[in-house]
Amino acid sequence: MSSFLSVICSIGMPTGERVDVVRRRFSNGNGARIAIVAGVRGDTPEGVRVAHIVASHLQEHHDKIKGTIDIYPCVNPLAAHRGMRRWPFFDQDLNRRFPGRPGAHAPDQVAYQLVQDLQGIDQLIEVRGANPAFTEALQAQVRHTDQAAAELARHANVEVVWARTPGPAAPSTLVYQFPSSIVLEGGTGNRLTAGVAESLANGVLNVLNVKGILPDEALPFHWAGVARPRVVVDANVRRVRAQVGGLFLPMVRPWGEVKGEQLLGEVVDPIGGRVLEEIRSPMGGRVLALREQPVVLPGTMVARIVSEANDG
Amino acid sequence: MAEMYRVDAPYRGSYRLERLTYGSGSPSVVVVGGLHGNELNGLHTCNILAGLLSHVRLQGTVHIFPAVNAFGMDQGTKRWPFDDRDINKAFPGDPEGSVVQRIAYALLQNSDADVCIDVHSASPLMRELPQVRVPLSGREVELGRAMGLPVVWRRAGDRLDATGLVGAWRQQGKSALHVLGGRGATLDVADSRAMAQGIMRLLDFMGILPVPTDEGSTLVDTTRAEVSYTYGSVGGFWVPEVRTGDFVKPGHLLGKITEVIGGGPLEEFRADREGVVVTMRTYPVVHARELLVRVADPVGD
Repeated sequence: MSSFLSVICSIGMPTGERVDVVRRRFSNGNGARIAIVAGVRGDTPEGVRVAHIVASHLQEHHDKIKGTIDIYPCVNPLAAHRGMRRWPFFDQDLNRRFPGRPGAHAPDQVAYQLVQDLQGIDQLIEVRGANPAFTEALQAQVRHTDQAAAELARHANVEVVWARTPGPAAPSTLVYQFPSSIVLEGGTGNRLTAGVAESLANGVLNVLNVKGILPDEALPFHWAGVARPRVVVDANVRRVRAQVGGLFLPMVRPWGEVKGEQLLGEVVDPIGGRVLEEIRSPMGGRVLALREQPVVLPGTMVARIVSEANDG
Repeated sequence: MAEMYRVDAPYRGSYRLERLTYGSGSPSVVVVGGLHGNELNGLHTCNILAGLLSHVRLQGTVHIFPAVNAFGMDQGTKRWPFDDRDINKAFPGDPEGSVVQRIAYALLQNSDADVCIDVHSASPLMRELPQVRVPLSGREVELGRAMGLPVVWRRAGDRLDATGLVGAWRQQGKSALHVLGGRGATLDVADSRAMAQGIMRLLDFMGILPVPTDEGSTLVDTTRAEVSYTYGSVGGFWVPEVRTGDFVKPGHLLGKITEVIGGGPLEEFRADREGVVVTMRTYPVVHARELLVRVADPVGD
């Protein structure tokens, strides 16, 4: 038994080349249909790697699958080719083009074709990396009103599930088109970090198990070993910003425990090295995200802290 | 010139949000250029306007922000270069937020006026006839027409996005006009001059100028229903046969897409209506389904 590879959208380049956006389908028996989408932005190779690992495992256990798993390993191939966030040439963020438009330019076409191809799915999981300037702890994000998605995301082998309120740009994102969607995120943007994709891939496989698509014996780990993270809401998460420009020197690690007022890092003068600002944690908790790119301006976010209080 | 906001940046000098002010009292207008750092016709329009206003005694106030995204300008980028954020998607801003939110906030706080004019170029791929974009009805239509620009484009729900300057301004219940002309990443002197003259006419209309201006010449006063959009069905090398501002008749050759290698013909485009070319693709390499030309009904049709 083998998977089925389909081209969901083929983009003709002016010079004659074609660029394909593909879907790999694993289907066996009756069951739910789950979609795993990676590479909406071209600077998130961690998500693409998750898609590879999951596909490789499903290939090995295809006969045990009960349902359909559609894997879209990279829906923004031209941006991934250059390691950049936006669709090149058009300079468009694909994750601001949904639900897309038929007969429009390439990014809108791909967005449209992807949304059409995803119609009828029972669950969407989008796998991302972090923004290139940050390292993110392993996390799942769901819409704040969707308790079922939050509960399912607790099986995704992450440190925390963040039930977020959609921002002003949310309606043009992929996951907004499918209300029960789960976003998995972690690692450092534009980089592959050993262990990150493997952990998130295990999370995806465990969700497939919970949805009844993959039996216990097809999991590469024992389900009882998967962590049960708590669910946090926006009020539990605080952004910490630099107030002066300079170089940010972190003093903590991603997902490290911090106390209120603990030093998170310093901003130093880039020429002389003098300390310009000490940045302290506004509360006790853990470091959900930490800035990796050291140059900061006033207002640049350097860390995201999630509180210890459990509101989940 | 007054500094309205400042950001001390590592490795380089400070960012300054500079404002020029002419006259005093009511009525008042704020003109904003350079929200996008690679749309230099907005900057030049502001500077032409500043030169004109420095010689007259105004009966009101004109504030000018010529170069909001000054860092983007000196690096040739549309967005704020440090974190690639669009200042024109950061309104109404936040004094405690990211740097583009702080700049957006400072701009709004320091632009108290009756009318806001946000001046842009087209993208670096396109050229637009100087135009003002307004909603379908209301005072902004009257103000936009008073500018006497070649194109008055009435658009449904135009620029209502509250994260943009014009949208944020309208959210406050005040009038805002979106003016654009020429091409991004270059300087179109004639288009910049036309936009500056359009702003002078608006100042005249509002009673701010002590002396009358000319009336201008509007070629197109249109809604979307009266505009033809031409898209290519294939990618290739776009060779235009008309320019913005040209009058065309049905059947007039607008341009063709040829093979990138060899130049063989792929697709030819002809006007389907009599009208004025208001938008033209300038960057010749095109992908399938990209906008190539817009032709609008002329005034009087």
